[in-house]
Amino acid sequence: MSRDKGLMRTIIASKRMQSFLGDPSGMVGGVILFAFFFAALFAPYLAPTDPYDLTTVDLANFLLEPSWMDQGVSAFPLGTDDQGRGILSTILYGLRTSLIVSVSVVTISSLVGIILGMLGAYYGGILDAFIMRTADTVFSFSTTLLAVLLLGVFESRGLFTVIIAICIADWVKYARTIRGSVLEIKEFPYVTAARSSGAGDFRILFRHILPNALPPIFVLMAVDMAVVIMLEATLSFLGVGVPLTEPSLGMMIAIGKNYIYAGMWWMVVFPGITLIGMVVGINLFADWLREELNPKL
Amino acid sequence: MKNRTLKTLTLLTAMVLPVSAMAKADLVIATDAPPKAMNPHAYSSDANLSYMSNFFDGLLQRKAPEGKLGPALAEKWQRVDALTWKFELRKGVKYHNGNDFNAADVKFTFERMKDPKYSKLLNIANSIASIETPDDYTVIFKTKKPVPWFAETMHQNFIVDKESTEKIDDGEYNTRAMGTGAYKFVEWIKGSYIRMTANEDYWEGAPKYKNVDILPITEESTRFAALAGKQVDIVNGVPVTLFDRVKAMPHVEIISQAARRAIYMGIGNTVGTPFEDIRVRQAIAHAINEKEIIEKIMRGQATMANQIPDVPTVGYDASIKRLDYDPVKSKQLLADAGYPDGFEITIAGPNDRYVNDEKICEAVAKYLAKVGLKVKLDVKPKSIFFDELTSNKYHFYLIGWFDGSFDFGRSAEKLLHTPDKDKGMGTYNGAAYSNSEIDSLLIASSSIIDRAEREKALQEINKKSVADVAWIPLHYQQDIFAVVKGKGIKYQPRSDRWIVAKEIK
Amino acid sequence: MTTYLAKRLLQGVIVLILVSMVCFAMFRFTGDPVVMLAGKDATYEEREQIRVAYGLDRPVYAQYFSFLKGAMQGDFGRSYVSQIDALDTILERFPATFELAVTAMCISFVLGVGLGVIVSISPNGVISRMIMAGSLVGISIPTFLIGILLVMFFSVYLDILPSFGRGDTVQIGFWRTGLLTLSGWQHILLPALTLSGYQLAVLIRLTRAGMRETLSEEYIKTAWAKGLSPAKVILKHALRNVMIPVVTIAGLSFGELIAFSIVTETIFQWPGMGNLLLTSIFETDQPIIVTYIMLAAFIILSINILVDLLYALLNPRIRYE
Repeated sequence: MSRDKGLMRTIIASKRMQSFLGDPSGMVGGVILFAFFFAALFAPYLAPTDPYDLTTVDLANFLLEPSWMDQGVSAFPLGTDDQGRGILSTILYGLRTSLIVSVSVVTISSLVGIILGMLGAYYGGILDAFIMRTADTVFSFSTTLLAVLLLGVFESRGLFTVIIAICIADWVKYARTIRGSVLEIKEFPYVTAARSSGAGDFRILFRHILPNALPPIFVLMAVDMAVVIMLEATLSFLGVGVPLTEPSLGMMIAIGKNYIYAGMWWMVVFPGITLIGMVVGINLFADWLREELNPKL
Repeated sequence: MKNRTLKTLTLLTAMVLPVSAMAKADLVIATDAPPKAMNPHAYSSDANLSYMSNFFDGLLQRKAPEGKLGPALAEKWQRVDALTWKFELRKGVKYHNGNDFNAADVKFTFERMKDPKYSKLLNIANSIASIETPDDYTVIFKTKKPVPWFAETMHQNFIVDKESTEKIDDGEYNTRAMGTGAYKFVEWIKGSYIRMTANEDYWEGAPKYKNVDILPITEESTRFAALAGKQVDIVNGVPVTLFDRVKAMPHVEIISQAARRAIYMGIGNTVGTPFEDIRVRQAIAHAINEKEIIEKIMRGQATMANQIPDVPTVGYDASIKRLDYDPVKSKQLLADAGYPDGFEITIAGPNDRYVNDEKICEAVAKYLAKVGLKVKLDVKPKSIFFDELTSNKYHFYLIGWFDGSFDFGRSAEKLLHTPDKDKGMGTYNGAAYSNSEIDSLLIASSSIIDRAEREKALQEINKKSVADVAWIPLHYQQDIFAVVKGKGIKYQPRSDRWIVAKEIK
Repeated sequence: MTTYLAKRLLQGVIVLILVSMVCFAMFRFTGDPVVMLAGKDATYEEREQIRVAYGLDRPVYAQYFSFLKGAMQGDFGRSYVSQIDALDTILERFPATFELAVTAMCISFVLGVGLGVIVSISPNGVISRMIMAGSLVGISIPTFLIGILLVMFFSVYLDILPSFGRGDTVQIGFWRTGLLTLSGWQHILLPALTLSGYQLAVLIRLTRAGMRETLSEEYIKTAWAKGLSPAKVILKHALRNVMIPVVTIAGLSFGELIAFSIVTETIFQWPGMGNLLLTSIFETDQPIIVTYIMLAAFIILSINILVDLLYALLNPRIRYE
């Protein structure tokens, strides 16, 4: 047990180190993040064409260059892919998938992780041992590896399966983080005082302990958003993520990859820039949040 | 310390040198599919058989380009009666290990092919009732029922050496190949290459190229990169998407020839589904713009198909026409059938089996949406797709087919006959299309021995299947090969896509 | 110490067994491998024959127990697809993956710690700012995109580096290496850079943070005051302290490294284990998948135990009771 604490401390210590990192360029990150959310939310209104309305997509428009180049057409500002879908429109719809997946995963796994981690830390004993052994194992496999393996073995693939598979691998981060905080906080004088004044477990956990344990979770959630977005793209790129019928940045790049030797760079470069831009935005924001909340882990 | 480092280095160099001094290959071929096992009976896929054709011989062989059946390990063959086939074997042939080839090996081979542990060529092996070897160079097969295409499969039933195969069959029967073929197996570095060297004592004469490497490269763009980087001499399966690029390479000659495989949409007529009505099936056929598919998705590298069998197949009928692209008529037919607002339809298909398979499915989805159907797309890896297909989970799906035996009857038994587990019929009739008239014609045709008569019967079945829209033929694939110029390589691709290195001059 | 080690090992074995059970439970949801194996000419009856020959007609628990029994003796069964021993099939690919991973780790370690130190010495310099901006992009770009962009630039646009395969390899005993030929080094460069990308960025940030904290501590100030050379102060005193979290994180992210090697190997057609896994997934080759997962779990668990020991070595204050 004591060894485990030591290990945790090290990671925590390194996180504290990390917390000194970011320049407060959080505003830039926030603006980028907001822009992407906005674009995703209003994709149906912003996109010049609907790339997933089968009745309007026309094969005749396939592999068009971006509109400023010789073969470009103004209806497709960033060109089209091999099915005649506009790249710009597909990116906008792909952003939605990215954000739906990441927001769902972060919400579900943080809830599950917080509850399990908190219960384990508060009650200790077999429950704690079981939860933490599971978490350790899952953690050492890494989210990415586990998600690839789960989805690879799973036959049916869809948005829902992707979310579930990532969640199965992802909740442990939250459980481990919150557990560390709770173990520390539950020995604080005000908590012991509350307990001796007869407050119930539920009340102590949610009124006294949780609020103080949350700041590091917020930072983790922000970082995790970025991680999940990259993960979804990776899974879809490998062909074990969202199916062909759903828009995804990773899938777009996978399709575009076949055309890079033909000099058709736009199918990879634009979704790639979008992906990097979005994740950089989130990471800048996360850095800022870390400075701001300065979670005392 | 220093001394030891020096010693180690010298030792390493000594180990390295002889290996790197080994001759570079005289000919490097890139293909689109890796071999799965070095066991000639392990797979019936053309990809695996293609590799095996270099290490082994069949009783007969097919030569490029048209694939006419000719003698190989057997010099003469004849169908004695409906059930009996007689093969007279070539004398003086030796295996790579020095053993003599004789009738006992043939008998052993076909018995081994019956064992599912070693063989997936069960079909032909199980049709054999008995094998007699009156002398060392005569083999007489008796089949359980008439199998008109028995000899037609003899180019792919590779003969193995009885003695050595029995020895390895308990252990590593899948890692090395040893037969009578024009090339000897050298090494198989999985994921990288297969290396082989010429069999100087080959009964047909030694092949031209001594050391040959075959590189399986599954990724399309990587195959292109290998060709562009001049790392390969011949490429089998030039990616359609990069066709124009390859064509523009000054150092490369492109050979594009009609492939045997037809790509078609399978469709059912199950009672209680919209597909029961022939007008619905016709409407779907009229909605598909195959010309555009060939132009845009296949980049012109496909020819339109009016029927499933290709020209050289027994049962092909030149008079069959396809239903034209006509969305207006399609909508009209749907309205007539009682579906003016369309209905929900799922298009199933594999995404890693045929050239641009999932892209064709996507295109078909668009055409059907444009005539008012509510389309869902369900493309998945072939491992799952074929599992679901054979359990009749689909109503409408994309599939490709060609029959190595050049006989439409054999295909139709699997694709067209009502699924029937006991009779072993309709295995790949994914939407369970059922037409009792076609079924009985098919059964009747299998006992016709006279070739002309049989052809007529099969043409009749073919015509009926297209008229009833039992399937919607799309196109025949085009096989695209690239050969590097200036090295004096003379290569005539085969219609079955096998790379038989001894044919490269 | 010994008891602790024994406990960890026992835990590891339990985890391995659980992992294998989960795998078998999951396989009920995958496609039927028999259809693919049997090929297009097979009838229903022949398919069932193959099912029996491969033992796939038995209930899942029976299949599982015979797997477990074999696994105890090091026999993980044969690949459905090639009928070659599953463990051999994977281990044959091990050198390729190992060389790629080690090269990538060397790159990320040397560059990561090196750049991190540079940044912490002059935090406000132009170079430092550029490095930090680069590391931000580095943690924000998925591995597969690094790979594709590198191919686009170095293989397609500049046309100076190969984009697939291992190049010329040399067989030494059971080990096939690509590191003894020029072409081998040319071929490993892009994949190794791709694989190192993420860890490199993380290590820069980690080293910088660690150095910043350590450099402000008393004993470092004392060391400066004693007039020790900067190299000695930084390398011997400060860096040693920073190494603890660096080693821990590097060890703990080993699973990540394996996962990213799947991605990298797929992009570069690197004939390693990750490439094999993805192919096997699409071919429903269950024995290969299980064996791969077991092997990955085994390696990860071993590395974790190793990191713990190393950790005790670096930080003498920790003692395992």
